[in-house]
Amino acid sequence: MAIVGSRRPSPYGEAVAEQLAADLARAGVIVVSGLALGIDAAAHRGALNGGGITVAVMGTGVDVVYPAAHSRLADDILAGGGALVSQFPDGTVPRRQNFPARNWTMAALSDVVVVVEAGEGSGALITAEAALHLHKEVMAVPGSVFSALSVGTHGLLRDGAGLVQNARDVLAALNLAGEVLDDPLATPKRLGFELRPERDGILGHLSDVLPMSAADIARRLQLPVSEVLGRMTALELDGAVRRLDAGYVRALRSGKERA
Amino acid sequence: MEVQADASTGAVVFNIVGLAATSVKEARERVRSAIRNSGLEFPHHRLTVNLAPAELRKEGSGLDLPMAVAVALAMMRKAPQPRSAFLGELALDGSVCHVDGVLVAARWLQRRGYERVFVPASDAAEAALVDGLEVIPCTTLAAVIAHIIRTQPIAPQPPTAPALVSDGENSECDLLEVHGQEEARRALEVAAAGGHHLMLSGPPGAGKTMLARCLPGILPPLELAEALEVAQVKSLLGDLSSTRPLDWTRPFRAPHHGVSMAGLIGGGAGLAQPGEISRAHHGVLFLDELAEFQANVLQALRQPLETGRVSITRSGGSVAYPARFTLVAATNPCPCGWAGDTRRACRCTPAMIDAYQRRLSGPLLDRIDLKVGVRRVPLGALAAEPAGESSAPVRERVLAARRRQLGRQGCLNAQLKPARLRQLASLDAGSRQTLERWAEQRGLTARGFHRAWRVARTSADLESSDRIAERHILEALGYRLHDVAA
Repeated sequence: MAIVGSRRPSPYGEAVAEQLAADLARAGVIVVSGLALGIDAAAHRGALNGGGITVAVMGTGVDVVYPAAHSRLADDILAGGGALVSQFPDGTVPRRQNFPARNWTMAALSDVVVVVEAGEGSGALITAEAALHLHKEVMAVPGSVFSALSVGTHGLLRDGAGLVQNARDVLAALNLAGEVLDDPLATPKRLGFELRPERDGILGHLSDVLPMSAADIARRLQLPVSEVLGRMTALELDGAVRRLDAGYVRALRSGKERA
Repeated sequence: MEVQADASTGAVVFNIVGLAATSVKEARERVRSAIRNSGLEFPHHRLTVNLAPAELRKEGSGLDLPMAVAVALAMMRKAPQPRSAFLGELALDGSVCHVDGVLVAARWLQRRGYERVFVPASDAAEAALVDGLEVIPCTTLAAVIAHIIRTQPIAPQPPTAPALVSDGENSECDLLEVHGQEEARRALEVAAAGGHHLMLSGPPGAGKTMLARCLPGILPPLELAEALEVAQVKSLLGDLSSTRPLDWTRPFRAPHHGVSMAGLIGGGAGLAQPGEISRAHHGVLFLDELAEFQANVLQALRQPLETGRVSITRSGGSVAYPARFTLVAATNPCPCGWAGDTRRACRCTPAMIDAYQRRLSGPLLDRIDLKVGVRRVPLGALAAEPAGESSAPVRERVLAARRRQLGRQGCLNAQLKPARLRQLASLDAGSRQTLERWAEQRGLTARGFHRAWRVARTSADLESSDRIAERHILEALGYRLHDVAA
């Protein structure tokens, strides 16, 4: 199965992709993605964390790792028994027009394509479209209705894509889950994020998707902005929050510490 | 510098010797006409004007008046009073016209022990800012000669009284007009208090320019010595107002991103002219769209940011100009400007954003202590944003914090050398540990480490606190937007 999505995801999307890939890899599923920044990298990393095999379908020659920052990841994929594959000859440098074709290949190699966070016009939607043409299953992970990164995924869900709340939803689509399917009326078993123990009231006010500025937090807590800035720095040092754009989001941790 | 004139027998020639630039040699025709048209005698034989010392290059039209006076007095076999200096350009009819840089020249002359300076009447108020120098306002060459030979003395220019400092007119923008943006407001206050450089990052229309324009208004008015330095730069550029030469307003300069190296740093043919950074001396230099400036122009900012001076070497010689300014840089978060905006989608690829931010990274960014994100407030929601304080109470706090610093160390925190920082702003164990943890996590340079430390000192000064507490360090680190996890 393929996991694709935004190159600039929210911490939420990144955590979902990583967790989903890890759980599926543990169940023996081969995770296919595109070695790009964001969701792709999280999916590869998750699969490796789950001790599974992952395949990177590249839009460049197999000898040209793009982005270059992912050469470590590419090595790890090979070391984990996975593969780097490409339809382009060796030495092909990244070219905008090659990536849609790569997206088709990803869909062709997979039985199911799961989209995690895709804004309007995202390349992940090309992969989903290709999957439809190739009669593969398309599934999507819902996001916040306030987030621009949910526009593409929610569009897919509205048009009939399968809902992904956890790895079992995907396993069911792959007919690997046996007979037991989730009861649609039961509370979904959540992807197992661990929130850090909240020793600071500020964390409760933060979203994991939408950044909130220090000024907004200060106003909500009726604190001077200088103090909020300091307290956010302390949380940042502990890895409990992250900077995103001009504000802060809650950092989500999946079971394993992220590299 | 001395101007000597000698009329001797020989063919009718007029020579100027003593390493004179073309602009000085041109004076020949003006001097000849001005003398004749003033009813004075011009020599009918060989005339030599010597500009001493000969190894120094002479430039500008300000030498017209001294040359004409020397020639005219030579013909009359008279000499001016000792320790007198002359400065002015001549029109063909003998009237004395404005020259640039009179204030600079007057201060130099006073320090060199001159007692009296003859300057164009239009520049007399400017020269009379200098204490202990008699200023003779000159309208025509004939009047100058009449004064020297005591047939009709000119009344000296009365000393120019500094204009009264009036509160509140220090700036065109007041913080009262800024709704919300509490983070940026706080950063402005810290920047003003400690002399730190500031970067505002946010989408178009977020109010970055307005915030920057509020900075001069929360700075204390110029001190006398500072105002004189500011006036000197203006004087060199011929920008000084003749009615109000001394101004207490902090300069605010906002050059366009197309500005050339010479325009920003200083330069031009011959002797370099001061650039925007010197015009912003003791004030604010606002660089909007920082990433659009030419890379080499931004590189050249590094020396003045560090030292508060700039030296420029041109064919005409080397000059140093003051350039101690507070830099306020503004930048979009990405090429299209909309990354992180809640209402509009950003269309940039991660690679584009990366390339854009890389243009800014490195040594220049490392020298900016405070970096804050500014969010765009949609027009409809603007009224709902809380109005903040006006500039006046903020200025009071800034003033108090600056007094503490000047009393303790004689300079603002941003200018503290690392050795004195360690001595005057010691950290307790907890604060030091926090700072070191961040430095390790984010791969801080030694410069970045000290910069965060200085900002923490300012944060403590704004609280009138002698000690730096951990919360001050934490706040200072909160302004380090560009430190990324190593």
